Amino acid sequence: MSTSKKIAQYCYQCVAGPDFLTVKVEDGVMTEVEPNFALADVHPGAGRACVKAYGLVQKTYNPNRLLTPMKRTNPKKGRDEDPGFVAISWDEALGLVGEKMREIRAKGLRDEHGYARVAASFGGGGTPTYYMGTFPAFLGAWGPIDFSFGSGQGVKCTHSEHLYGELWHRGFTVAADTPTSNYILSFGGNPEASHGVMGISRHADARDRGAKRVQIEPHMSVTAACSSEWVPIRPKTDPAFMYGLMHVMLHEMPRERLDLPFLTDHTGSPYLIAPNGYFMRDPVTHKPMLWDTKRGAAVTFDTPDIAPALEGSFTVSGLEVGADDEEWQHEDIQVETAFSHLVKQMEQYTPEWAEDICQVPDGCIRRIADEFVSHAQVGDTIEIDGEILPLRPVSVILGKTVNNGWGGYECCWGRTLLACLVGALEVPGGTLGTTVRLNRPATTRQASVAPGPDGFMKYPMNPTDKDNWQETPKARNGHDTLVPLSASSPWSQALGPTHFAWMFRKESPENWPEVSAPDLWFVYRTNPAISFWDTKAVTERIAEFPYIVSFAYIRDETNHMADILLPECTDFESTQLIRVGGTKFSESYWDHEGVALRQPAIEPLGETRDFTDIATALAEQAGILDRYNNAINKGAGGIPLKGDHWDFTLDTDTKHEAEVIWDAMCRSASAELTDGEETDGLDWYKENGMRTRPISRLIWYLFPEMKKQKLRFEMPYQEQLYRVGKQLGNRLHEKGIEWWNEQLKEYEPLPPWKDFPGIWEQATVNSGGDLKDYPFWLLTSRSMQLAWGSNSSIQMIDEVAKNMHGHRAMIMNAGRAAEMGIEEGDLVEIKSTLRATKGRVALKQGIRPDTILIQGQFDHWVTPYSKDNPAPSMNTVVPMSLALTDATGSSADIVRVAVTKLAGAA
Amino acid sequence: MTRYVMVADLRRCVGCQTCTAACKHANATPPGVQWRQVLDMETGTYPQVQRTFVPVGCMHCADPPCEDVCPSTATKIRPDGIVEIDYDLCIGCGYCAVACPYQARHIVHKRDLAYGKEAMANEDKRFDEGRMSVAMKCNFCQGRIDKAKETGQTPGIDPEVTPACVNSCLADALHFGDKEDPDSNVNKLLAENQTFRMHEDLGTDPGFYYIWDKNK
Repeated sequence: MSTSKKIAQYCYQCVAGPDFLTVKVEDGVMTEVEPNFALADVHPGAGRACVKAYGLVQKTYNPNRLLTPMKRTNPKKGRDEDPGFVAISWDEALGLVGEKMREIRAKGLRDEHGYARVAASFGGGGTPTYYMGTFPAFLGAWGPIDFSFGSGQGVKCTHSEHLYGELWHRGFTVAADTPTSNYILSFGGNPEASHGVMGISRHADARDRGAKRVQIEPHMSVTAACSSEWVPIRPKTDPAFMYGLMHVMLHEMPRERLDLPFLTDHTGSPYLIAPNGYFMRDPVTHKPMLWDTKRGAAVTFDTPDIAPALEGSFTVSGLEVGADDEEWQHEDIQVETAFSHLVKQMEQYTPEWAEDICQVPDGCIRRIADEFVSHAQVGDTIEIDGEILPLRPVSVILGKTVNNGWGGYECCWGRTLLACLVGALEVPGGTLGTTVRLNRPATTRQASVAPGPDGFMKYPMNPTDKDNWQETPKARNGHDTLVPLSASSPWSQALGPTHFAWMFRKESPENWPEVSAPDLWFVYRTNPAISFWDTKAVTERIAEFPYIVSFAYIRDETNHMADILLPECTDFESTQLIRVGGTKFSESYWDHEGVALRQPAIEPLGETRDFTDIATALAEQAGILDRYNNAINKGAGGIPLKGDHWDFTLDTDTKHEAEVIWDAMCRSASAELTDGEETDGLDWYKENGMRTRPISRLIWYLFPEMKKQKLRFEMPYQEQLYRVGKQLGNRLHEKGIEWWNEQLKEYEPLPPWKDFPGIWEQATVNSGGDLKDYPFWLLTSRSMQLAWGSNSSIQMIDEVAKNMHGHRAMIMNAGRAAEMGIEEGDLVEIKSTLRATKGRVALKQGIRPDTILIQGQFDHWVTPYSKDNPAPSMNTVVPMSLALTDATGSSADIVRVAVTKLAGAA
Repeated sequence: MTRYVMVADLRRCVGCQTCTAACKHANATPPGVQWRQVLDMETGTYPQVQRTFVPVGCMHCADPPCEDVCPSTATKIRPDGIVEIDYDLCIGCGYCAVACPYQARHIVHKRDLAYGKEAMANEDKRFDEGRMSVAMKCNFCQGRIDKAKETGQTPGIDPEVTPACVNSCLADALHFGDKEDPDSNVNKLLAENQTFRMHEDLGTDPGFYYIWDKNK
């Protein structure tokens, strides 16, 4: 008798998840993915799943899957070495890894350089966590682990946004309040390709009700296609455009059009700036001062009953505190407010000036500035769950290459400041943060807000003072030493200059400690051998690692160098309960919070094992089973197993099956969500998929919490960063480190325009190139279909992606191509001063003549299917260099290249 | 009378191809065959450019050229407007594929597999010999539509009896319903918006409408 059932699942292949779906199983075979409309009322994406989720059936049955553990038989590693993988039993595989782990524990968890002997790299912006079961409990139980070998972050992520976003408004990523916003300025933001189901539906609804979005970017992305207007800006000149907007707002508009109360009462705009660039402070309390128009005197920012002056020059006495506690006592000197400094700074950046840099007409910049302010509805309010909040339906969003690398600071600052000028930061309709990863606790953004000494939010900056600076890096990328903003949360290592771990492995710069290879490297759902910049160099460094354990679904370019391959059950074969709801990456803004289950739809194929069972076995092998179970009890698997009125904790000396662990997790989650009333276990979740409870939409906005704690947004003047930069410089110079000097210049209190395109042009020249020989800017753009999750190796996803013009090709302006005698489909070489890649040409009108675009990262040479479908990859040609690294430790996907039609190619 | 039609709101479609993938799942189409797909179209000259995503497939015409040329009467219009193919009657001559102005028909003569050599379990499970060497195309997921008669549900409203592409659409760009029902969802959309049909001048009376803002 034939059977058919639908099994509830989630898909979290990318940070825009989770998406919900059901998979139909007919006679034990998965056949069809469908939306899970049973969850439509609580899921902001109405229970629908993005295109990538439809690839998961093929992913499971992919004949190229690894279905048994393997071990390497060729001790030599390298791209040209055959690993000689042979199938082994799980007992042998776990025994071999166990032997290595016990050897490491016997030697000590850190090596002679102080680095953790075990390293681990995971891809996908943290999404592997949603598939690795209780492996986080193993990692927690192990002890120090180095997460600083990057797999693309820094250059592929919205890096500067992560760091500055968290500093200014607890926005690890930043989004428009799309359901309420009526005017969105998008500098390369790509929500239609990157923000998943929730983003797509929110923006489609916004378009339907007449919201306007202006897309400013060098090529016409999917998002530009869906926007009201496309402004083809010269690459990497976005700050100049923003500064032009600010000039118009500050010098050409009546001041009253701005949100003066917001600037005065909710930002640092009225703070007084002393002559050396630091705040003028009260000599006794050291608190920053502002000018109180009621008293006609300078008072500390937290003085009750004041009416601060937003701008002006005042005669004031006070204390100025600089780097390393250097102090200046000032008597009756003339000082101006931070806002006045801003106004002066922006005077030079006229739209005409910006036009020369951005190649966007000055009239366009003036019009957009006017539209932005007109749509802001300054003075309007809206009621959300009984609370009256400002309504400012204008927002600014940024995309990759804009908000990372040099210029990322200026763009993030400009974006946040544009919002502040009209009071549209963290209020309905405005520009919002999504989640926190650096500030703690990470339960909600609001929970992470705590008062700092200067009236702003406290930020966990890595120390730069003499006593506490981390002189010798603890992680191989040196984030704790070089990047104060990267903080010290569990995510921080992955948010430092992760390429330095690779670069410095080869050769440490002057006065920097040697960077050792880890004794053991765990790799999961990441492929840095193709997903970083200068992938050839990264591949060579990986080959030097002595012992690599890869949790592997198929063979790929990184696990080509592995010693052990452990085949885990894929998405639809294993069990995991995750937290959902609240606010998260991309545009995941929910009206509910709760948990959702992923569960086996079929029996695992071959010898593949549930990741939780693998983690438990590894913990046993390492001799840390009790600590591992204890970590699970404390919540390392996602849900703490004990609450005020319930206790589902596991015995710490027992090796528990995955189902037992997840049943306890389900019961505890049920209790947590119902205040102990329900204790439904795994079977209930297998039937129902998820459990949620409603939450107030007020958590979307940080403004109410700021107001409650009487805190101001740290805008516009960056006194803290200025001091931190000076102190960091002092520390590095004391150590004889001069190679970070360019990066130190980024710590400006009011960042001026710099020739950002010129930095990449200079890099071309410095590496022996003549700019006229490399006339094109090579950029990349997100492919919704192929991004994340090895989707280029899924035939069906690759097939449907090809419906989008330019996939697996190099996109070029049709007019420019005609001048060069290049036609659609021609094979061309794309060459930087580093090396070249080849690909077919796709011609478009929607791209600047000086720009070419390659979507994705496809220079596979091992991954089955992908390697037989060649495509150009910019990762091959983008250099990895110190000079192209900004102060936050990131660079951007951009490089100057030459394009040459290959003779004789059809 | 009933006439089922599709309405695609081009202002909402983002070209994500989720409908394409959902259709492939629902109808188990072989590699390279897409009964539903979304075209990526560009008009204008730099920098005055417009890029539009256009879902296409069988237009379920009221006067379909494919029916006229079918020598075996395999292609018929159902009373509810769905243009269907009787695989038992189809001889795979391909006249219909040539006659269709929308390139909506496909004929596969040999079994093609996603990964070339070895059939996956789902491919084996869903392989249908009866669809080899016959014309295939979108049938508005007619099995689901027919189920509505048993359940009393409304196609286009209730997901169980609605085409897979419509259910899957992330942007709510695709809509399905009965154009003959004055109160239907699709009639409301057609009444409130500017629409066009593809190659309307050919006189095929397509059952696929596109919502578009002519001023854009």
